[in-house]
Amino acid sequence: MAISRRSLLKGFGWATAGLVVTAGGGYGVSRRLALPYRGMPTAQDASAWLRLTPEGVIEIMMPRAELGQGIAISFRQVVAEETGFPLDRIRAIQPRTDLLPPARATVGSDSVKDFAPLLASAAAALAVVLKRAGVVDGIPPPVGFRVLATAPRLIDAAAVREAIPVSLKAGPKRIVGTAEPTDAIRAIVTGDAPLFADDIRLPGMVFGAVLRSPRLGAVLSEVDDAKVRALPGYLGLRRVGERALVAAESRGALERALAALVPKWSGGLSDDADIAALIDVDRGLSTGALEHVARNAHFAPGEAFADLRLDVPMAAHACMEPRTAVARFDEAGRLEVWTGTQDVTFIRAALAQELGLSRDLVTVIGCRVGGGFGGKTLCMVELEAALLARAFGRSVKVQWTRLDEFREAFHRPPSSHRIRASLATDGTPDGWHHAFRSGHVMFTSAAMGPVLQFATSFFGDPGVLRGAIPPYAAARQRVEFEDVRLPVHTGPWRGLGAGPNIWAMETMVDHLARLKGEDPLAFRRRIIAPQWPRLRRALDRVAALAGWSALQSTPERGYGIACGVYKEMSYAAVIAEVTRVGEQMRVTKLWCAHDCGLMLNPGQVQAQVEGNLVWGIGMALFEDLTLAEGTVAQTSFADYAVPRFSDVPEMIIALIDEGEAPTGAAETAIVAAAPAITNAIAAMTGKPVLRLPWRADRAA
Amino acid sequence: MLTRRSNQRGGRNAMHFVLNGRTAAIPESMADDRLLWVLRDHLALNGPKYGCGVGVCGACVVHVDGVAERACLLTAKDIEGREVTTLEGLGSGAAGGLHPVQQAWIDAGVPQCGYCQNGQVMTAAALLNANPLAPRADIAAAMDSVVCRCGTQRRIAAAIDLAQQMLRVRT
Repeated sequence: MAISRRSLLKGFGWATAGLVVTAGGGYGVSRRLALPYRGMPTAQDASAWLRLTPEGVIEIMMPRAELGQGIAISFRQVVAEETGFPLDRIRAIQPRTDLLPPARATVGSDSVKDFAPLLASAAAALAVVLKRAGVVDGIPPPVGFRVLATAPRLIDAAAVREAIPVSLKAGPKRIVGTAEPTDAIRAIVTGDAPLFADDIRLPGMVFGAVLRSPRLGAVLSEVDDAKVRALPGYLGLRRVGERALVAAESRGALERALAALVPKWSGGLSDDADIAALIDVDRGLSTGALEHVARNAHFAPGEAFADLRLDVPMAAHACMEPRTAVARFDEAGRLEVWTGTQDVTFIRAALAQELGLSRDLVTVIGCRVGGGFGGKTLCMVELEAALLARAFGRSVKVQWTRLDEFREAFHRPPSSHRIRASLATDGTPDGWHHAFRSGHVMFTSAAMGPVLQFATSFFGDPGVLRGAIPPYAAARQRVEFEDVRLPVHTGPWRGLGAGPNIWAMETMVDHLARLKGEDPLAFRRRIIAPQWPRLRRALDRVAALAGWSALQSTPERGYGIACGVYKEMSYAAVIAEVTRVGEQMRVTKLWCAHDCGLMLNPGQVQAQVEGNLVWGIGMALFEDLTLAEGTVAQTSFADYAVPRFSDVPEMIIALIDEGEAPTGAAETAIVAAAPAITNAIAAMTGKPVLRLPWRADRAA
Repeated sequence: MLTRRSNQRGGRNAMHFVLNGRTAAIPESMADDRLLWVLRDHLALNGPKYGCGVGVCGACVVHVDGVAERACLLTAKDIEGREVTTLEGLGSGAAGGLHPVQQAWIDAGVPQCGYCQNGQVMTAAALLNANPLAPRADIAAAMDSVVCRCGTQRRIAAAIDLAQQMLRVRT
């Protein structure tokens, strides 16, 4: 039932349309969900994305947040292409709720696919308006831009009808298709302009924090600030609901106060919480079918030619920018919040709901986001800043500590997978059974109270399922899964379920080829289903790039290959060279062929591919978030390892663009990178890597 | 050099140091605050960033007397009388207001989100200021101390190559 009703969830942001649920309990984050309906953007939305200033600058009210994926420069290029304005007279404004119609969250790698065509149409219509007024290539008309800029409606219906956008069409272009550097690059390398939420400084602004429990889910029972009241700069402690809010004049004073307070907590997660047992797929299968069945062929375990159990741990987003927000109330009770978020629309709705304000009294101003990766999608630090601002009657900045980021945020869920395959006499798979159990991705407990958790329990979490339907031909397919409530918050992490699911799948495909004594490239080429010719093309391209046929694995150096389709729209194939260095494995070279169709800015696409490959290294060899003593065990980059400079090898990347429509690049290559790396290790050892991340002490 | 003296503008004592070539005052009440907070909050600088607070990510790197240091691990009194350079002051006096490392970062298109790049640029600049011909092993050792989550490491390597070429041409 679950999957057959998936159409209900189309256009899914973080919940189905219009649901409003209030529930008590929980910890740290807004547990009420109040989502305005946000479907696909429309042409009418798009005409509101463009403004002209009296100085002759086109401003793009960005419907998508700049998180480092390069969307701001890419959108500026589209507007430059259509209007003839030079890039330096086209400005990108981060999403803000006072200037932008309600917009979907910046998630899902769909900014170019779903938004760029509408932006191009609106910009082409603006070009018609400008041409009528005598503006050619941005050169002002004799009367200047003021009349145009102050017109009640910049883009009219006739202009929309007349416009012929060119940015997303094949053929020669001036600006679209060039590798312009990311927006604001000079400010990034000089610090000469405010970009991030922590760069916002308001008059009289103070600093705040929320007391943090030492265990997940613990409740504050008592706190006495008598001993800290005399600290210079200390402003006090306020209890608001289950939270204890502390404010101080400076961050130094705030840190001294927090260090001196000794709150008492009760309850919370026990020391021996065992999330591995909760997501054990074999335990689920032992009692029959799993709850959600996405492909329902019959497959008896006895038929399996190969049978693997694969395990993926939790992982952190570990964005370099910790969550930060600044909140201010004015005399009229209007709330303004500055924050680096993937979703200003949701933040506004959640703040209005939590604070009992009407939405038009709340303005959320998006700042450049210092890394998102799916992690900056909920209302967390923003609510804390707003509660502090109200409680203390001051403008307040709240910045999470790195420890907060590990303990209070949500993470990639752990998952366990059982994959069984049988082969026909010609060696192609005729049966494929993938069963898995995972913590939640989209139906995250970080955003949902118990009522909505119950409501969504009838559906399979589409984020958990992502990527699990194989692109390989197998006559009988069985794909079944369970999404399990865990005592730790889990949610979307770059690629969602596609990272773990495709890693598991590509490990099995490699294993089958090895058992058959067949070349893993040739095997994949043979069994790719006919509807995925672009996946085969990516495989062929990467094989040519790396000279696959000449690469010979030895016990000291291995070569692995893997491929994947992301959201049925983007394609990647990766070859990894892994070298044994003492007890460790190092990735010493990566090749990748990547296909997201037409590219607005190949330099930014390339950067996304590079980032995905680095995340693949992290997923395969480093990242492992665990629980201990009732909370997340890792506390900083000292004990949560991510790839560093020396861990990243030369990467040779081919970007395929042969005229197909644009799709997305931000989460594609990771799905092939991690399994290519572990398959290279398997090529050295002869045994599949069954558990992420690979570690010497786990290798049999 | 400079020592404690009465703040000209008010009654409170102030501490002094040189920030990006100019004398800057810090109120005595901030003596024990992290240098990072002094720079960001008292002196309104955007360059140095908070990333971890325990010296393991490098987002807050500044130069103290020309050496790369972590502003989250120093206090205001640690830098009294010393010379501090932040990202904002790195390029002062250079062509176009950009240190060769900053120019190379733009030419190589290094940043994605940009948040860690203060630490990357300042760490690379301290290394190349001390030794424009720094060998690869030294570059790796220095750059391994600064975390980038977006995955810009190879572009950082390319930008350092470029900066070394610029510095070689100049010398």
